[in-house]
Amino acid sequence: MIVRRLIAVLGVGALLAAAGCGGSAPSGAAVDAAGSGDGPVRIGALHPVSGSMAVDGLQMRRGAQLAVEQINESGGIASLGGRRVQLTTADTQGKPEIGQSEAQRLISDGAVGLVGTYQSSVSSNVAVVAERNEVPFVMDVTASDEIFQHGYRHSFRVQPGSAKISESAADYLKQVSEQAGEPAGRVAVLHEQTDFGTGAADTFEAAARKLGMEVGPRVSYDATTASDFTSQITQVKASDADVLVVAGYYGDSLLIAQAIDAVKPDLDAVWGVSNGAYDQPKFVSDAGELGDRYFSTNYHFDAQNPETRRLRAEYRQRFGAPMRTGAVLSYDAVQAIAAGVEEAGSTDPAAVRNGIARAQIDPLTVGDGPVRFGPDGENVNSAAVLMQIQNGRVKQVYPPEKAESDPDYSVAW
Amino acid sequence: MTTTIDTDAPETRAPSATLAVLKRAGVVGALVAAAVAVALVQSGSGIVVWQSVVTGLLTGGLYGLIAMGLTLIFGVLDIVNFAHGAMLAVAMFISFGVVAVTGLHPYLTMLITVPALFLVGVLVHRGLLSGSGGATLENQLLITLGLSLLLENGLLLFFGAEPKNVGLPGETHLDVFGAVVAGSRLYAFLGAMALGLLLYWMLQHTRLGTAIRAVASNSAGAELVGINVRRIHTLTFAIGAACAGAAAALAVPLLSVTPTLGEQFNITAFVVVVLGGMGNVVGALVGGLLIGLVEQLTTIYLDGQSSLLGVFVVFVLVLFLRPQGLFGRRT
Amino acid sequence: MTDTAVESRRETRSAGPAAPPLRPQNRQFAVLAVLVLLAIPLPLILPAAQGAVAVRILIFLIMAVGWNIMSGFGGMFSFGHAAYFGLGAYTSAYLLVEHGVSPWVGMAAGMVVAAAVAMVIGYFSFRYELKGAYFALATFAFAEMLRLITTSSDAVNGAVGYQVPLIQGSSLGQMQFPAGSPAYFWIALVLAGGAVALSILFRHSAAGRYVVAIRDDELAAASVGAPVMRHKLLTVALSGAITAVAGAFYTQYYLFIDPQLAFGSSVSIEAIVTAVIGGIGTIWGPVVGAVIVGSLSDVTATLLATPPEFLSFLQGRSGLDVILYAVMLILIVRLMPKGIFGTLAEKFSERRRR
Repeated sequence: MIVRRLIAVLGVGALLAAAGCGGSAPSGAAVDAAGSGDGPVRIGALHPVSGSMAVDGLQMRRGAQLAVEQINESGGIASLGGRRVQLTTADTQGKPEIGQSEAQRLISDGAVGLVGTYQSSVSSNVAVVAERNEVPFVMDVTASDEIFQHGYRHSFRVQPGSAKISESAADYLKQVSEQAGEPAGRVAVLHEQTDFGTGAADTFEAAARKLGMEVGPRVSYDATTASDFTSQITQVKASDADVLVVAGYYGDSLLIAQAIDAVKPDLDAVWGVSNGAYDQPKFVSDAGELGDRYFSTNYHFDAQNPETRRLRAEYRQRFGAPMRTGAVLSYDAVQAIAAGVEEAGSTDPAAVRNGIARAQIDPLTVGDGPVRFGPDGENVNSAAVLMQIQNGRVKQVYPPEKAESDPDYSVAW
Repeated sequence: MTTTIDTDAPETRAPSATLAVLKRAGVVGALVAAAVAVALVQSGSGIVVWQSVVTGLLTGGLYGLIAMGLTLIFGVLDIVNFAHGAMLAVAMFISFGVVAVTGLHPYLTMLITVPALFLVGVLVHRGLLSGSGGATLENQLLITLGLSLLLENGLLLFFGAEPKNVGLPGETHLDVFGAVVAGSRLYAFLGAMALGLLLYWMLQHTRLGTAIRAVASNSAGAELVGINVRRIHTLTFAIGAACAGAAAALAVPLLSVTPTLGEQFNITAFVVVVLGGMGNVVGALVGGLLIGLVEQLTTIYLDGQSSLLGVFVVFVLVLFLRPQGLFGRRT
Repeated sequence: MTDTAVESRRETRSAGPAAPPLRPQNRQFAVLAVLVLLAIPLPLILPAAQGAVAVRILIFLIMAVGWNIMSGFGGMFSFGHAAYFGLGAYTSAYLLVEHGVSPWVGMAAGMVVAAAVAMVIGYFSFRYELKGAYFALATFAFAEMLRLITTSSDAVNGAVGYQVPLIQGSSLGQMQFPAGSPAYFWIALVLAGGAVALSILFRHSAAGRYVVAIRDDELAAASVGAPVMRHKLLTVALSGAITAVAGAFYTQYYLFIDPQLAFGSSVSIEAIVTAVIGGIGTIWGPVVGAVIVGSLSDVTATLLATPPEFLSFLQGRSGLDVILYAVMLILIVRLMPKGIFGTLAEKFSERRRR
């Protein structure tokens, strides 16, 4: 017994020792004021490359890496005599407090700007760090609009905000349904109940009412526990709604699709708003025919842009997986910081911040024009696009100038 | 309805005891009827409430099956197994893996998940819980808590967090007086009921079952009449784990498989176990159905609230007012 | 009723300088003083990222000390300390964001709220004689209910939570300093030192001795006339109040709180694991445990970011830190139930006796 205990003590002691040594390993040598010297210009990328968001996080880190490579291949930062750009990466683990300390580390390692972070809660924390250190932070994917209500000077965002997507969703719904000769009169809304789904539903409802559509019933659910949506869809069926709006994450949206298939409510269309599933190739393969003809309004890579196609082809070739929209947004965000450095002709974060505010870049994601940041830090030309699953593929269908094919305003059952 | 396993000393069941149980069942039934009536008034749509009731019962059957293993372990070993949900997740991953590799029908994976989880149960009990280190209640809580963290994060480490899905070949939909029922959910419910009855029969009518009941009611006495108590403990723990294995195979077409899926079921299963009376297998089945209903009705009563809130309210009320559960006797 | 936490703090002040009657108490205070003194220069030595880890360790430490008072000394196994952590965090964030109240006042208010809630939960649990697993499950249910209610309450910003408004420069009154300032560490150190001091005082107070006696044999303690209910309530109140301090400081340090971060079950688990690994029911156990658990995620993250050859398949995966502390938890419970500190202390005293 004593021997067993001793072994346990030793084991734990070894772990403790490892904690002591390992803990101080990561930074140390890296603090060499890279921002001011002749070394490469450092851009920090914060993504959840481990944890439950790891797949998306890794995609986005690679997207940022591809952007850096592209910049270096085309001669680096011209206004600094062709200085090269280097990506310094950090793992947020999907946790706000880790994101915060990692952001601090990247900044003290000399990053002139940060990109990230995929999750609103982590971005909230990183935005605070960026503001306090006066280093620009360009968000690639961050849905929450709340961050932009604090008047931070150093926060920028490439993707359209949640409100913009929801408003576009209402807009597109009116136009597409009218073009199809079946104007949407009553819209049922099913949304998950945290700020993401509730926010999307609130904005959509307001916009839809303004456009003369009625909204109801509105049903919310807890995405972490819901395992069957038959009752909710029955409620939709019992109403006289023409369209069902779904604002949810991946798993719940898939369950909703299964419930729709079971109940077969009398609808003209299923309309995803900032939906986490209905524009994902994975949904198409998981749901099969269930998801046919589902619509989704969201930010998206620009499938019509040849540059985007080239980038996605390269990604697929190198990493063996289709490049997701988030990764393309990270690519755009890195380009925005590089353009800011170019514009500023300096690696001083304050100057870079002003450079970013003046810069314009051509995005590879869908937009109404070049990425350009307004006084609030939002990309004034960000835009949402309507997609539809047609023949087992996610296609851009509206507005017409972004469309790969025409919207098919109908349901499959 | 009778109590199968009692943690307290056995006494001959007088007719009055059966009567009391029946009376309680009546009260519960009346409460459920009243709750449904209120829901009807609140929602104003018969079909919606009916669908909710059907959905609630179907989901509840599954909760019952998961909780049965938990309650069996508690009743016999006095162990609160926090790792039960994690074991369910492990079984789901096994089931998913087998389907993905061999293309076997999801339900047939039960042939693998049940023995696999039985083995896991044996190993966990022998390796971690038996002996002096697993003696006190706190230690058991901590060990099973550690185990659940270990299993969940092990799955996360090796399989990642991307949700995985298993489809049921030949999925159909049935109409039950206007309510829609997916075939997969109905089969899972029926499977859960059948397994519940099988377990009940096993406890009542086999030598092993008798031994388990003897150990549950008086382990010192059982030891005296020559029952190997440690062996029975291990077997019971393993059977409880195997229940999670069976539940996993039945539920795998219904859910996205993720490493943390057990968490949600663990919470619900504990509520079901307390509701049905710790150690009461039939109580767990009934408790499962009730909790399924509570979840569905909560979403009607309190729009915008999580269905879990209603479950917890019921839980706390039961803990305070009837800690022995609806169908248990006060210890 | 709600004053108990405040009262016990007053006790601290009056008992601190006066010579306490017990020698082990003095020795423990001396050790605490040495530890605090040794820790003071740490933020000036450590690089920024490790400074953040050090602060995280102190937050874990406060949580674990809080949990240990109720569940270690008091023997009332709580699975819901997230409730008190969250109440501390939310009370201070709410008062600061909605009413501009200083976080120090918010922290005190959070302590009072958490102590009050702890006593209400405690009262009902003891009144209905919930014990062991039932008590643990009840505390868990209350924490989860708080999480669900906060998530859906617009009055406290729902699932969005609170972001602490930034101020220019630094202010001790607003508990806000430039990024990476050592002041955060020092404040946490003072709070953690205070928490440990409180737990030393509590352990040697009449209430503490009674509660330990009740833990070991409730009937016997009651039969010699210990007012069981009162001492137990005092214990849970103190425990809740200390845990609330961790929550309030967390909010100020990370400048952000939401229902999952505040009331999530992982908070409860962290408090338990930290105390148990270090040594349940000991003064120094939570300290030892916090150093291990607090730094573990950083160590594994470093390890997995640049994994050695044989671990390269784990790159981009997560969960290793939790696996390590889960294994440690199981091993420690199985092989050294007194935790790392408790076991070592036993070895030492055995040798000295020889």
